[in-house]
Amino acid sequence: MRVRDSLLAAVAILAAGGLLSLGLADYSLRLLNLSVISAVAVIGFNVAFGLAGLISLGHAAFVGMGAYTLAILTTKLGWSPWLAAPVGVAVTTLFAALIGYPLLRLRGHYLALATLGLNVSFTIVTANWIALTNGTNGISGVPPFAVAGLAIDDERRFLWLGLVALAVVAAAAVALQRSRHGRAMMAVRDDETAARMSGIDVTRTKVAALCLSAAAAGLAGVLFATHVRFVAPEDFNYAHSIVYLAMLIVGGEGTVVGAVIGAALLTFLPEWLRGLGDAYLAFFGLMMLVILIFLPTGLIGLVRMAARLRFRRGAVATPRGAP
Amino acid sequence: MTLTRQTVLRLALAAALAPALPATTLAQQGDILIGATVPTTGPLSLTGKQYLNSLRMAEQDINAAGGIGGRKIRIVFEDTQASNSTAVNAFMKLAQETKPAFYFLSSYSTQNLAVAPELKKIGVPAMYAGGADVVAEQGNEWMFRIRPADSVAARGMVTAATTILNAKKPGILFIQNDFGQGGANVAAKQFEAAGTPVVGMEAYGQNDKDFSAQMLSLRAKGADVLVLFNYPQDGALLLRQAKMLDLKMPIVTSSAALVPAALQLLSPADLVNVWGVVDAYMDASVGDRMKDFVERYRKMFGTDADPYGLAYYDGALIMAEGMRKVGLDPKALRDWIAGLRDWPGIGHVYGFDAKGNGVRDLAVVKAKPGTKTLELVQTVKVD
Amino acid sequence: MADFIQLCVNGLALGSVYALAAIGFVIVYAATGVVNFAAGQFVMLGTFAGVGMITQGALPLGLGYGAALAAMALFGVLFFVLVYLPLRKSPVVTIIIGTVAIGIVMQNAVLLSFGSWPFRLPSPLDGIMLQIGGAMITAHAVMVVAVTALLIGLIWLLFYRTALGIGMRAVAQDVEAARLMGLPVNRLLALSWVLAAMLAGIAGLLLGPMWFADVNMGDPIALKAFAATIIGGFGSLPGAIAGGLFVGLAELLGASYVSSAYKDLIAFGAMILFLLVRPQGVFGERIQDRG
Repeated sequence: MRVRDSLLAAVAILAAGGLLSLGLADYSLRLLNLSVISAVAVIGFNVAFGLAGLISLGHAAFVGMGAYTLAILTTKLGWSPWLAAPVGVAVTTLFAALIGYPLLRLRGHYLALATLGLNVSFTIVTANWIALTNGTNGISGVPPFAVAGLAIDDERRFLWLGLVALAVVAAAAVALQRSRHGRAMMAVRDDETAARMSGIDVTRTKVAALCLSAAAAGLAGVLFATHVRFVAPEDFNYAHSIVYLAMLIVGGEGTVVGAVIGAALLTFLPEWLRGLGDAYLAFFGLMMLVILIFLPTGLIGLVRMAARLRFRRGAVATPRGAP
Repeated sequence: MTLTRQTVLRLALAAALAPALPATTLAQQGDILIGATVPTTGPLSLTGKQYLNSLRMAEQDINAAGGIGGRKIRIVFEDTQASNSTAVNAFMKLAQETKPAFYFLSSYSTQNLAVAPELKKIGVPAMYAGGADVVAEQGNEWMFRIRPADSVAARGMVTAATTILNAKKPGILFIQNDFGQGGANVAAKQFEAAGTPVVGMEAYGQNDKDFSAQMLSLRAKGADVLVLFNYPQDGALLLRQAKMLDLKMPIVTSSAALVPAALQLLSPADLVNVWGVVDAYMDASVGDRMKDFVERYRKMFGTDADPYGLAYYDGALIMAEGMRKVGLDPKALRDWIAGLRDWPGIGHVYGFDAKGNGVRDLAVVKAKPGTKTLELVQTVKVD
Repeated sequence: MADFIQLCVNGLALGSVYALAAIGFVIVYAATGVVNFAAGQFVMLGTFAGVGMITQGALPLGLGYGAALAAMALFGVLFFVLVYLPLRKSPVVTIIIGTVAIGIVMQNAVLLSFGSWPFRLPSPLDGIMLQIGGAMITAHAVMVVAVTALLIGLIWLLFYRTALGIGMRAVAQDVEAARLMGLPVNRLLALSWVLAAMLAGIAGLLLGPMWFADVNMGDPIALKAFAATIIGGFGSLPGAIAGGLFVGLAELLGASYVSSAYKDLIAFGAMILFLLVRPQGVFGERIQDRG
């Protein structure tokens, strides 16, 4: 059951993305790639927030840490991206573990604002530690991944790499959600005291959730750095953390599909609205608000509603054939 | 119509699908399309609006002069916001849907750096106004800088501080971004080389509103000239607070504090003892073409032009001349621009070096006593 | 020494602005449980209400201030009806994202109507400088501190000495109980938003002459106001003030005596430290079980 769902999610992502990659041109492919990268980050965010109930507004700092680690290792030390990528993910995860133990004693908005402060601090440090990060100039010339001598340096090729990463992360997230560990996280989210009484190590569960979430963010960062091939402090400021949260809420909190839909919508929507001229961002904000008001469970609610509607109609047509 | 959940959903769906339809080219057949990615929203829109206006004006003028061999040009703008990623989105949208024959990129170096690899793939010439030296150092043969590089500006400021003001103990105050950090470091090295090392370097954040700590600390270190690397609004605020704190030493500020958007916030008293090292001295007295540009700009847009906008105007005229001479072939056009020497623009005499830097001169200006009218002190040429 | 006094004076003026923004934020949070991420944009809107009435509308200062605050009060009502009411049953995080969305709308709407050039808002005390112990300070900055102090007093009176304020506090503590007691809950909730909007308006009008009016001034203020709120204690009025002053002073003294490049790390570092050591802040949170 668990394995089947995971595989299903992975195959669905690969198939849908693969189909899209055939018909689209570079600009749309780039947006799709940005969506995929964000989706990886948001799925990770969902592990912390959707499963374990941790509002972390420092997610962009985790993404940045993965991106900067890869950028520094490849440009300053000449590492291969393949070697630097796992290190980037590992460094990010380790960092999450280090801050997790002290910070995760906080709850709700306290945790939200503490992690927001962490994100601001990350931006200040990356902007000023010039010897390591080139400061506000950022690091350019990050090399692309290469497979068998073929550089993954255009949008179409990158999409396949991104999709594989997304499929793996999505499958892992689905598996986690269905596993004992996932249920432990949800138990902690719903009632910490009850969870503790039933023998769950609350602190460890929370730290584990934050670490997994950071690992996905680190992977998103690695993808980001090899996609744009340029990283700067501004790319990972706290506003991006709020965007990740918004993506999850708009898509549908607590679900992998919601995370993917939300990431795609908030990436594409402002670009689609460009036709409106100077007013496009105002409209973007307005549309976000409308979605929140009319779809309180996010776009995933729309999908569910559509499914229910069809089911009801089907039931009318064949009254006895209900599944 | 009552606004039920369902109608809203349907509307949302319609809105989501509509843009997926193939974008029809709005241009009449035969127009030459030019792409421009400038910030029109967010914190950078203050300067972005100037580029947009200047390019619109250039478009009008080029078409009024017969266009390019009888064909009109049309500039298509896309917003970059204050985001590197959005700048790339804007660029790729143009590359895919408009397929411009030429690009104008923004004046923000990190945006230029993010767009550079995509531009190289497409292989179409572009002009940009980001100052950071690293943009040119990358050696992207399609990119041409139409403003002084930050290192050039920094050297101009050092020259002004050491030769005009005879600085012995300069202090530097810089904005914490690629422009400020880069400029401050170049300036510090130049001061060192000139035998007058800086007594202190202080930073401030882009959103800071109080600079007393930085200024007082430079004063306490005995700075006899204050060299400022700033953006427009914070530049104006800096100059005002320097007067409030009663700082006695002369101040050398970079271009941004003296653009019209910043000057309108200041009083003549704020400009006493302030020298500005600006990209170009813009006053009707400079000459007929400058007078024409300054006056028409004010008439068209109701605000004063600034040197940043002028750079884009000049750039567009260079582009037009190139297109008239060698046609639209990207390679030919690139080579023509790269070979350009001593091209007399309104703001500068342009000529591109091997790295695509087109401008090497600056102007030192100062307000006439008791007014906000700037006058030229001297021009500085940096080789 | 004169420099130190100067820094303290400037730090207090800066801190007062943060404190004012933080108070508006705290009132909304205490009354409705909403963490208002558009708090900074509220202040920005207040400044531009002033620009619209005084700089562009050419109203005399007193009338202009009144009109700007009336506009802000109206905005508070609109916000309550169009944003808070439809979202109030949603999870807290949804409301937070709602305030983020409305913040984007506000910022871009003001950009569309006022353009990107910054404005200079006049002050009744323009051009007057005072000397305090060798430090120079504008009379306007002194007024900012005074007005902030006065407002704090008034708010305290409202909350603890009037039936209206006590009703607001009752709603803040338990909406259902307040409803059962026959309190006009919706009207009191609306009043909280109006009060927050007007306070933000006052903050905006006060800081316009100090900093220039600029469409993008909101977010940086909100960020510092958040830090102030945490340090002072979430939901606590005296906490918001103490936190605001602390952040203002830390910013300037940190830039002077530690490092100007890393000065913001001090405020946010202190915020994180406070959260870890004393999550209830200096004054503690009055309302528990929120968020």
